[in-house]
Amino acid sequence: MSSEPRIVAFLCNWCSYAGADLAGTSRIRYPPNIRIIRVMCSGRVDPAFIFRAFETGADGVLVGGCHPGDCHYVSGNLKAEKRMENTKKLLKLLGLGPERLRLEWISAAEGEKFAQVVTDFTGTLRRIGPNPLKAKTNVNNPIDVEAVVSEALKKTNVQYCVECGKCSGSCPVSRVDNSFSPRRVVERFLLGFEDKVISGKDLWTCLSCYQCSERCPSDVRFPEFVRACRSIAPRDMLEETCAHRGIPMTLSRIMINPKIKQDRMGWLPERAQISKRGDLLYFVGCLPYLDILFEDFNLELIKTPQSVVKILNKVGIKPAMLPNEKCCGHDLLWTGDLENFEKLAKLNVANIKATGAKRVVTSCPECYRTIKKDYAEFVGELDFEVLHMSELLSELVDKDELKFEVYPERKVVYHDSCRLGRQMGVYEPPRKVISSLPGTQLVEMERNRENALCCGVNAWLSCNKYHKEIQMDRLKEAKATGADLLVTTCPKCRIHWKCVTSEKLPINPDEITMEMRDLSVLVAEAMNLA
Amino acid sequence: MEANKSVLVIGGGIAGMQASLDLADRGLKVFLLEKTPSIGGRMAQLDKTFPTMDCSICILAPKMIECLRHPNITLLTYCEVQDVSGSAGNFTVKVLKKPRFIDEEKCTGCGECAQYCPIEVPNEFDMGIGIRKAIYVPLPQAVPLKYTIDEENCIKCRLCQRTCKAEAVDFDQKPETINLNVGAIIVATGFDMFDARKRREYGYGRYRNVLISLEFERLVSASGPTGGHIVRLSDGRVPRRIAFIQCVGSRSLKGGVTFCSSACCVYATKEAILIREHDPECEVYIFYNELKIFGKGFQEFVTRARDEWGVKYIRALPGEVVEDPKTHDLTMWYEDTTENVTKNMKVDLVVLCPALIPTVANKELASILGLDLDEYGFFECKDPLFKPIDTNVPGIFICGYSQGPKDIPESVAQASGAAARAAEVMALAASREAQ
Repeated sequence: MSSEPRIVAFLCNWCSYAGADLAGTSRIRYPPNIRIIRVMCSGRVDPAFIFRAFETGADGVLVGGCHPGDCHYVSGNLKAEKRMENTKKLLKLLGLGPERLRLEWISAAEGEKFAQVVTDFTGTLRRIGPNPLKAKTNVNNPIDVEAVVSEALKKTNVQYCVECGKCSGSCPVSRVDNSFSPRRVVERFLLGFEDKVISGKDLWTCLSCYQCSERCPSDVRFPEFVRACRSIAPRDMLEETCAHRGIPMTLSRIMINPKIKQDRMGWLPERAQISKRGDLLYFVGCLPYLDILFEDFNLELIKTPQSVVKILNKVGIKPAMLPNEKCCGHDLLWTGDLENFEKLAKLNVANIKATGAKRVVTSCPECYRTIKKDYAEFVGELDFEVLHMSELLSELVDKDELKFEVYPERKVVYHDSCRLGRQMGVYEPPRKVISSLPGTQLVEMERNRENALCCGVNAWLSCNKYHKEIQMDRLKEAKATGADLLVTTCPKCRIHWKCVTSEKLPINPDEITMEMRDLSVLVAEAMNLA
Repeated sequence: MEANKSVLVIGGGIAGMQASLDLADRGLKVFLLEKTPSIGGRMAQLDKTFPTMDCSICILAPKMIECLRHPNITLLTYCEVQDVSGSAGNFTVKVLKKPRFIDEEKCTGCGECAQYCPIEVPNEFDMGIGIRKAIYVPLPQAVPLKYTIDEENCIKCRLCQRTCKAEAVDFDQKPETINLNVGAIIVATGFDMFDARKRREYGYGRYRNVLISLEFERLVSASGPTGGHIVRLSDGRVPRRIAFIQCVGSRSLKGGVTFCSSACCVYATKEAILIREHDPECEVYIFYNELKIFGKGFQEFVTRARDEWGVKYIRALPGEVVEDPKTHDLTMWYEDTTENVTKNMKVDLVVLCPALIPTVANKELASILGLDLDEYGFFECKDPLFKPIDTNVPGIFICGYSQGPKDIPESVAQASGAAARAAEVMALAASREAQ
């Protein structure tokens, strides 16, 4: 195959597509490397389309829209501009390079310009070479449905279900959406309607918050059962229920490619001291990506890893870090893409081992659970210890190594994320850390620890009105404590809550709007490192 | 020889009392040992019994008195077994008699001392919802009716000593050791309640209006702390809607015990009827997974509760109980599994039916007696089919709840069985001696 670059172009119906048409009817010459997809507006081009194009081997993506001021939908093109900027940043992080994506304003009268853009872009792509993802041939291994089903039944104790309904009485989704019931999913499955369960929507509704399995008298691990079923479920339901068009998952899959060299360390604070090898490794997780994806929320997500590094440096630890760290694979695992999850798991374990790390610290509860529990299950015993930042902080508090300087009088409420709390049983360390901060009073929500309510969404699935209700419910509960600050360790909890509070609400926003903070950031602030 | 004529019965509940009376009536000497200050056991705490709705203490108290008065029975209350040696026909038992700080010979049980005692502590007999003094009898019908000073809470103000006309208070009392020589031993240590705090989702221990069933028995009992008035502990309000939750910790592969306590479905039905009897306006719901009502007359009992008393049964185990911090009303979330709908219900009072588990002290007792325990702490029997009362040690027999889950009539029947088996051992020993 020749190394001719291939460009996927999304052109707006009113201007750029007409411009391309003009180039054609005017018989203007331009390289034949472009494949055009007509969209109604450049504002319609979701970054997901672009990532999908790159994932499947496009060398470049061109987005064409009307000149500013000319948009037929007033401001679609300006929105596209903002998005493309964002997308370029992500491409830079991924190591694919921002120059592979181009946004151009081409009017219906600019056939010449169109030809010139294509010529120029083709030249650029020739210079920077082919998309490293190009060689990839994604042949899915055929899945043995029977085997998956019988193993899931065995492993997750589904057969022991006594249909008491305690799961549904505990499930946060069932409360707001009467049509969903874990008990009935299991019942249907056991009665032989496996196909209906596997192809149905309920499979994608579960939050995997483990509230049901925490309380199940028969020890049925419903979330794990759902996870196994998702791995054999048709993908159309996933596409339908997944928010953000699955961008996080696409990014994770792209990272598997060995030719991808990410450029993800740009967030490191000045004078940060890190090492290539060492006893303690800091696993950052997706925060550099999420920080860009959810830029509009102003959550300053990147402050979390910055704070972690600052705190570690302050106590004299130079953490080892992976410059080409891959996604932990959490979202792939919980959307049923076991094949790619396993690849990520192997890559990460090999990379961690290469640093000689004996302890791996994560600030993200999802990475924590995934590495500690799921990697061990999929890849085998790990020869390093995995601990959450809150556990490390709690150790440091015990040793009296954290020197707090700032003393804001505050009432703080702590939210147990599902992964850190119920799933891994880390309840006390974060509380201990918060309580040790001077001037800080820790208060509890009505539902705390193993009874904590989920933030409302998991693995970007089923973000709908029911899940919004759960989110509001949790925020109301936090607000009712009278706390000034809501602290959690999971970046996604904060993203989901910020998302719901920035929407049009059926209630007074004051009832649920709260200042939120990551635990590590809170500690760094108290140490005057922020 | 003395040994061949006497039997030690450990546990002064209904099973232990029944075994003692049977043996005593045969002419054998019985030492009835009880670790609390009074015999009576769990049955004494109950308000009514199922399925006949008899007043529990009314039918029990005469038996308690009989144990006291029987010339062949020696009560060893406030005592514990310390050491056992020997074999069938000839056991030597060392018993620790804990000091009551009261001379049992002198105490008349008038209760004047308790009136003056300034210390109030939660009453164990009332499951902590009522109070008693530091000098106390656990229940009004205590047998023996002798006061006891609770050393832990007593402040040694000696007001009781000054009040007691019989001069029975004796702060110098020391623990005593009693040595017994017995031919056989019967163990009937009964049950404890599973700690419902462990199922945090139901809020027991955090919410004042979530009770466990034995607390409710005391609440509804005429001799209980409220004189039998059913009120909420948070605010004294009369509840309009009460819900029972079955299987709290029982029949659980996780977070509890796997066995069925065998009595809860029926006693909850009994308590539900009691509520309707006390207050026909109060709605009662029983949340269950399966109604295990296998005993004689039980099915009819439940049918009567449903049809005549209007008790509502809902096939669901609630997932969670949440309290409104202002009103202390409770909201329960559950899926009605007959309708397939997840619902919530506001109730004023929740009664949990926790698993009935063998007493924790069984472990120590088993090691003293050389008995085997199963994984839950029940005494292991020699053969579950043909030797349900025998243990791995010849001459030691088990009965009542400490042998396995059962209700009162079964405990009584088994106690008589244990008495008969013990009598056999005694007779054999006597005949061997005669030869």
